[in-house]
Amino acid sequence: MRSVSLFFGSVKRVFLVLSLFFVGGVSFAQSVSEGKALFQSKCTSCHAVNRVVIGPALKDVDQRHDEEWLIKWIQNSQKMIASGDAKAVALANQYKPNVMTAFPELTPENVKSIVAYIKEEGNKPATTNAAGAVDGASSSNDEVSDFMLGGLILVIVIAFLVIIILNRVIKTFERLLLQKQGVALEEEVVNETGKVQKLIAYLKLRAKNKKFIFFIVLGVVLVLGTVGWVGMWNTDVHTGYQPVQPIKFSHQLHAGVNKIDCQYCHTGAYKSKNASIPSLNVCMNCHNYVQATDKYNGEISPEIKKIYRALDYDPQTKKYGSSPKPIQWIRIHNLPDFAYFNHSQHVKVAGVKCQKCHGPIQNMEEVYQYSPLTMKWCINCHRETEVNYKGNAYYASLIAAHEKLKKGEKITAAVLGGTECAKCHY
Amino acid sequence: MESNKKYWKGLEELHNTKDFAQNNKNEFAEPLPIEEVLNEAGLSTVAPRRDFLKALGFGLGAVTLAACQRVPVHKSIPYLIKPEEVVPGIPNYYSSTFNGHSVLVKTREGRPIKLEGNPNCILSKGGLDSKGQASVLDLYDVSKLKNPILNGKGATWNQVDQWVKAELNKVQSAGKKIRIVSSTVNSPSTKSVIADFVAKYPNTKHIQADPISYTGIIKANENSFGRAVLPRYHFDKADVIVSFAADFLGTWISHVEFNRDYASNRNNASLKNKKMSRHIQFEAGMSLTGTNADTRIPLKPSEEGIALINLYNALGGSLPGAKKIASNPNADKAIALVAKELSAAKGRSLVVCGSNDVSTQTLVNAINSLLGNYSTTIDLDNPSYQYVGNDSEYVAFINEMKRGEVGAVFFLNSNPAYDYFNAKDFSEALSKVALRVSFADREDETASLCQVVAPNHHYLESWGDANPVEGYYTIMQPTINPVGNTRYAEEGFLIWSDAAVKSYYQYVKDNWSKNILPKFGSTWKQLLQTGSVYSGQKKMNAYTFKHDLSVVAQTIVNRSQVLSSAGDSGLELCLYENTVIGDGKAANNPWLQELPDPVSKVTWDNFVAIAPKYAQKLGIKEFDLLTVKVGNNQVTLPALLQPGQAMGTIAIALGYGRTKAGKAGSGVGQNAYPFLSFNNGTIQAVSLATLTKAGGSYELAQTQTHYSIEGRNIIRETTLKEYLKDPNAGTGRRFENKVDLWKDYDRPGHSWVMAIDLNACTGCGACVVACSAENNVPVVGRDEVRRRREMHWLRIDRYYSFEEDGKSVTEENEIKRLDNMDNVSVVYQPMMCQHCDHAPCETVCPVLATVHSSEGLNQMAYNRCVGTRYCANNCPYKVRRFNWFNYWNDSRFDNYLNNEFTQLALNPDVTPRSRGVMEKCSMCVQRIQAGKLQAKIEKRPLKDGDIKMACQQTCPTNAIIFGDGNDPNSEVSKALKSERTYYVLEEISTRPGIGYQTKVRNTVEV
Repeated sequence: MRSVSLFFGSVKRVFLVLSLFFVGGVSFAQSVSEGKALFQSKCTSCHAVNRVVIGPALKDVDQRHDEEWLIKWIQNSQKMIASGDAKAVALANQYKPNVMTAFPELTPENVKSIVAYIKEEGNKPATTNAAGAVDGASSSNDEVSDFMLGGLILVIVIAFLVIIILNRVIKTFERLLLQKQGVALEEEVVNETGKVQKLIAYLKLRAKNKKFIFFIVLGVVLVLGTVGWVGMWNTDVHTGYQPVQPIKFSHQLHAGVNKIDCQYCHTGAYKSKNASIPSLNVCMNCHNYVQATDKYNGEISPEIKKIYRALDYDPQTKKYGSSPKPIQWIRIHNLPDFAYFNHSQHVKVAGVKCQKCHGPIQNMEEVYQYSPLTMKWCINCHRETEVNYKGNAYYASLIAAHEKLKKGEKITAAVLGGTECAKCHY
Repeated sequence: MESNKKYWKGLEELHNTKDFAQNNKNEFAEPLPIEEVLNEAGLSTVAPRRDFLKALGFGLGAVTLAACQRVPVHKSIPYLIKPEEVVPGIPNYYSSTFNGHSVLVKTREGRPIKLEGNPNCILSKGGLDSKGQASVLDLYDVSKLKNPILNGKGATWNQVDQWVKAELNKVQSAGKKIRIVSSTVNSPSTKSVIADFVAKYPNTKHIQADPISYTGIIKANENSFGRAVLPRYHFDKADVIVSFAADFLGTWISHVEFNRDYASNRNNASLKNKKMSRHIQFEAGMSLTGTNADTRIPLKPSEEGIALINLYNALGGSLPGAKKIASNPNADKAIALVAKELSAAKGRSLVVCGSNDVSTQTLVNAINSLLGNYSTTIDLDNPSYQYVGNDSEYVAFINEMKRGEVGAVFFLNSNPAYDYFNAKDFSEALSKVALRVSFADREDETASLCQVVAPNHHYLESWGDANPVEGYYTIMQPTINPVGNTRYAEEGFLIWSDAAVKSYYQYVKDNWSKNILPKFGSTWKQLLQTGSVYSGQKKMNAYTFKHDLSVVAQTIVNRSQVLSSAGDSGLELCLYENTVIGDGKAANNPWLQELPDPVSKVTWDNFVAIAPKYAQKLGIKEFDLLTVKVGNNQVTLPALLQPGQAMGTIAIALGYGRTKAGKAGSGVGQNAYPFLSFNNGTIQAVSLATLTKAGGSYELAQTQTHYSIEGRNIIRETTLKEYLKDPNAGTGRRFENKVDLWKDYDRPGHSWVMAIDLNACTGCGACVVACSAENNVPVVGRDEVRRRREMHWLRIDRYYSFEEDGKSVTEENEIKRLDNMDNVSVVYQPMMCQHCDHAPCETVCPVLATVHSSEGLNQMAYNRCVGTRYCANNCPYKVRRFNWFNYWNDSRFDNYLNNEFTQLALNPDVTPRSRGVMEKCSMCVQRIQAGKLQAKIEKRPLKDGDIKMACQQTCPTNAIIFGDGNDPNSEVSKALKSERTYYVLEEISTRPGIGYQTKVRNTVEV
């Protein structure tokens, strides 16, 4: 499924890039695209086109203020307020205590292109989604692929239905033909029981063939044995476990596309045994204003809304209510109770990459268990991985002692006692 | 020199009783059904094959069905808004205060799970006693009230406040008295709150009374020096310590501090300097302190006063009433010798007495004054405020109630219906009071007689403070939100007196910022970090004794005559507080109930201690039920034969027999408080009793006699004289291993070893509770202890040996001829897994569940263990424990692990063990791993002292040292290099990782 959807996604991306090439070249569009780039880098922390974020909604800003005023305001709003400009003072009062950052680096041309972008963006009917940059495409390919796959399945199902219906129609016609020819239905029934009897007779004959029986039994034993063996080995091994989480959080978007460092959210991985699921205040660092409205017709993303609901946060008034409800994530990586695992030992001390155990997490739309988390798997790694002792004074004397004994052999975790019981079981 | 002195774990072993012999002969404590299985009938049953197949089929089916369980979905619920200082998986430590001692509280994810002494604490210096260790479990006690109670029904705080205020106004307008009854309050903020309340309701008086009272000492000091205080005693400055029944290592005043000070003159460092204090104990019942004494002389309470008068006269005084103690010539001889020793150590000696009698304590003051001990070992200028209770005020209060003068009474940390000597009198008197309020955290004996129970917070939920000794203030800060709907008692007082500040936190903070912190130039934030402030010791002044002793002597002689009036037929009953349960306030703590009393090794009960020879005379056998009667009060308790108990005396522990303590503590033992008596203005613990056999017997759950030492040389001891001649004295033959079955292990990294100084260990048992708390050790209860199934990873073995005419008894048959078992001496030995290099347990495990690590640890992998118990059988130290039940999931063990609230005290880094697996001391491997990890994260070498074992950390005397044996500069390496070091059973070549240092007795004849 994943690979199929990725394929469709990349196809669509190619089309989009091609279409952008065709659109390019028009000077107006260029200033709009420059404006868009500037808008996204400078303004989106506090503004959106169609709704109030920290600052006002910018739709029709060109109608509310003249261009000259806007340039001055954007370059240094505080100066304007201090100079007593009536409009400026009114705005400042309206959005107290938030203060607009000064952007002296923006040239009047820059401001004009931003305004042009806002104008164009504001004129778009609310229903159409701006098809644009790559990030838009990558996050929307989810829907596209689902739709396509759904369609494909639908087509196949319909095709099957057609075949079945046609078959029935043919049969009905045949029966009608037979009836016309005067052949009785009863005969047909007799014919059918005859077929069953024939089958039984055939099986009885085969049952007398000892070789045949032997091979059948052997086959069954082999199949059952293999299934049993594999089943037993994999009891309580949940590789691929991918439960549905209460929020459709995409690691692919956050870690893959946006390249947010894992430890930005999983703060415990560096210092504690638990990597820890981030608390919602960490989410709110960004999602205070990142609301993905561009993908939901100006509405806040329903998934981000779940964060707000959990915190009892009102995005309009920006106030926290009094009845928050924690989010119950479903734990994917479950170690047995008697095994002690410490993230900081592996992440901070050994410098193991997250992906080593958690797999290509940056590509996972939804997280699944990548590694088997069996003892064999742990031990194998401890046997193969060389200890990251360089520059760590703790290991100095240990390594010296081992060098004497091992004479330059690779010093793995196992050599330093990393496979002893009480390293993990206590 | 190898000592061939004989030691005995208990009288059972000494006498080789039938049961004991039988039990020792058997490999297993309980008979195995081998005979039944192997007898002819078992083998020749009809159609065993079919039955076997049926059983097999059923078993397979059942197991398959049981295994067909869907893997549970684990939820993971992060914080909504995470407090910055909390990182899941990393403990936070907060400083707080337990019983006047500054402590560090370890919390995980907001739950307090373990207590440690605060190294900054001037009293404990990082140690903590068993009660302190166990107090964390009280926080999660399910027997506590979750809501306030008003007139027998649950109520809201608002209702309670309205009702109490209305009643108070009525009382006020009727002009009746208001009384606040509490045990000692040394918290400056609480005292201030009460003062504010008294200002609002001027009819109020605060009465402080402790169940175990020290009024005698306070009043004696008032008589003698005009200072009505409890002095601070400095055992570290005393070279000769003489104690008359003061259990200063077990329970007396500030026992944690005394343990540390006492051991500082007897530990390895002190012996290296060729210095060791001498301790002589005169007492009737065998106390923890008595077992540690160099010389212990049994002395009846009736003889105590005379002995003191004799001592005073021998030191140069002249008092009437001196006479030979005819009944106890040994004591007479000893007093003369002690007087000589004391006069040789003037200003470096200390005489203490456990009596609560003013006259006796006045005489003790006179003796100390003669010896010039004031300003050296006794400090009246920096007094202790740990006990300030006043008995006569207490009794006067009961009389006020009887006369109907009291209109309202508040009980704060006080339970007279249980621990007042005349509880019936008290209950009747209390019914005449209109408003009765208790701040008890549960519906205890007194609270259930009150209309209002306003449950107070547990101290781990509270802000608060304490001022245990002059100039030393500690702060208490909460480590968890209140578990139930409880409230500060202080807040009650503030609300009922319409105070301006109603939040007690604000009150404490204001009080400190205004009255305490400026004096120390400290800030609130610094205080919360350090936990305490100390102004340093004030200069000690010398005090001259000024009091007429002739009256005192007369009172003592009279009292002595009363006690001995019944002659030989009279029995003197001594009531004592044992180290474990104390005054009974913490009776509902399963860790404490399961902790064996250090001397008797009895768990979950109190008993009548009686000397073996005396019991023989009366025809009493061990565990016989006896009825003890004083006046109209009587209890029936089993007998325990206690060597060292003075002839003609019996001893009963207080603190048992609670009726409304809660699930674990109600109905454990019998209440002996009614035997206390009020004499000469103080409540006293000695009386004249009669003893009759009640018929029947009751088996006490004792831990000690569960295994035999089979005459092996486990304890090594010597005398100071011998030690000074040769530091190797008494360590026995060194065993050089030339031939060995096993290869040597490499220990290239660390080599974890431990050293235990038997001379510093006082046997108090704090380490046992600390170990239980750290390692989630189950509590099994009385019945299971009787079946020898206690689970403690660390136990303290107590060994008796006997002396006759100054010669230790070396042959078994000599002991049998012993007439007098008074001359018993005791050695304590903490015993846990020895982490042998050549461990006998490892070689017999069929599944390799117990193996050795490259760091010298004997590892136990629970998930690999199949429960053959071969290892336990092959362990010569008998330290392995088998899980007979799923203690965490079995309603029969509803004390600790099985309960969803008390489970919250579990250490999340240690797996709770399942049924059918073996467990034992892991050398706190979770602490080792955590310590190593911390060093790795900080990229630094591991420092000595970074990792501390739970037992080591709590030990008030630092008897246990742990560290890396590969580091020649570590404390433990140095300790193990000491000449005193020996290894238990080194002759069988197990090569233990734990070295013991010989017990040294300062029995130098004067």
